[in-house]
Amino acid sequence: MPYDEPDATDPNMLVGVELPGTEESTRDMAYVFAEEFARLGFEKRRLMSLFKTPFYAGAHRAYLELGEAEIEKIADECLAIWGRVKFVDADTNLHSA
Amino acid sequence: MPQVYNWQLNREMEYPYQAAFPQRQFAFVFNTNRCLACQTCTMACKSTWTFNKGQEHMWWANVETKPYGGYPQHWDAKILKLLEDANPGGQVWNKQNGAARFEGMTIFEAGKKKLAPESARVLGYLPEDHEWNSPNIYEDNPKGIKGEKYKLDTEGAELPVHKTWFFYLARICNHCTYPACLAACPRKAIYKRPEDGIVLLDQEQCRGYRKCVEACPYKKSMYRGNTRISEKCIACYPRVEGTDPESNGRPMETRCMAACIGQMRLQGLVQMNNDGTWKEDRYNPIYYLVHVAKVALPLYPQLGTAPNGYYIPPRWVPRPYLRQMFGPGVDQAVERYMHPDRELLAVLQLYRRSNIIIYRYKLEEGKKIYEGTLRGQPVSIYNDTVIAYDKFDKEIFRTTIDEPVFERPALHANSI
Repeated sequence: MPYDEPDATDPNMLVGVELPGTEESTRDMAYVFAEEFARLGFEKRRLMSLFKTPFYAGAHRAYLELGEAEIEKIADECLAIWGRVKFVDADTNLHSA
Repeated sequence: MPQVYNWQLNREMEYPYQAAFPQRQFAFVFNTNRCLACQTCTMACKSTWTFNKGQEHMWWANVETKPYGGYPQHWDAKILKLLEDANPGGQVWNKQNGAARFEGMTIFEAGKKKLAPESARVLGYLPEDHEWNSPNIYEDNPKGIKGEKYKLDTEGAELPVHKTWFFYLARICNHCTYPACLAACPRKAIYKRPEDGIVLLDQEQCRGYRKCVEACPYKKSMYRGNTRISEKCIACYPRVEGTDPESNGRPMETRCMAACIGQMRLQGLVQMNNDGTWKEDRYNPIYYLVHVAKVALPLYPQLGTAPNGYYIPPRWVPRPYLRQMFGPGVDQAVERYMHPDRELLAVLQLYRRSNIIIYRYKLEEGKKIYEGTLRGQPVSIYNDTVIAYDKFDKEIFRTTIDEPVFERPALHANSI
């Protein structure tokens, strides 16, 4: 981010443009992150921390907009399916190939 | 100009050289639904290839926030506008005759119409220095304290809040089938390797005219001021060849792929036909995602370079934007990805389970272990096992579900 206030005479200054989107876009995004990372094996605590951490701006934005209770509900719904299974990987020995 | 067949456009198009295709082609599928913009891929590439003096502005791998962001700034909006100016209202896909066909102009065709002198072959533009210098300006970057270098802000940093939808787009060189950089180079310094389709720039031949920088619509060829020649992504070719010491002779995915913590990157080598289409290779995961499941689409196919980077589009983004970015297959791709069948679910489990390139997978079907709904849609889970094989048809790993998982103890949580 720039340090100073925008200079109106700067031809390269950011010009904000509103793009069409619905309220559901944020909810959809929250569902996608919750489902994808639940599929990757995240449990409730890790999933919620993904939404709570400001570093992950997309997920955190949904957390701020929808509130913790709603995010928790979404996480629970996704974990109800993907949280019940565990993915397990069995590597073959790479150096014996 | 010779005519070549571009399967992504479903038609022939003009290209400055006769068509020639590699035996195999470097290709990748990025799942944008999983990308969190952690920039680990960006830094993996930077710390491997572009950490020297004169390369400060170079990010061969980058992640930008769409729709606003871009590196260099507004690269896609600028090339799309140039094409629109060259062919007003004509940049459209025609879906009337079954399969969609692009009826507009590619950067090669528009170049012929718009450019002078005749030696100019590709429509493009040369970004200015400031467009390269701040790769994520105004995006989701925390800021430090004004005037205080190399110090953390003890009060914490506040991130900007977007008021609209957005997603993260990870990008590297697409190692195009019809590279614009190669077409534009007056020195013939850029070539496509016959064994893997990786596009390389011969630094002995380059004289730094920057025609490639101007021509590449994805802006992945970059000029280095202190050597006065250009450079570009080399697809970590020692790893792809299997000659990197770490690869132990087995072709290995690039640094940016291997570093991805969101597990959204999968890279492979697909087999090519003589006409530039992909040879059927049903159980190659990249072939499966692009040509069988059809959930992965090329980035801005209308530009005409036939890029070999494919993307699973983000599910929550308005469709008109996605159709412009990924072409007419978006609606089908999103629908299939939202309701994946058991094979697609299994193939998605291949992502980042290993750094060795997967040449083939096998699905061993198990019994159904769960049936339920998610957001009103039915979901079934099967105890399937997906097995990945390397170049020599040796098993790399197998992933199954419904079994115990080993968790690293807290004492060694961060050890590698």
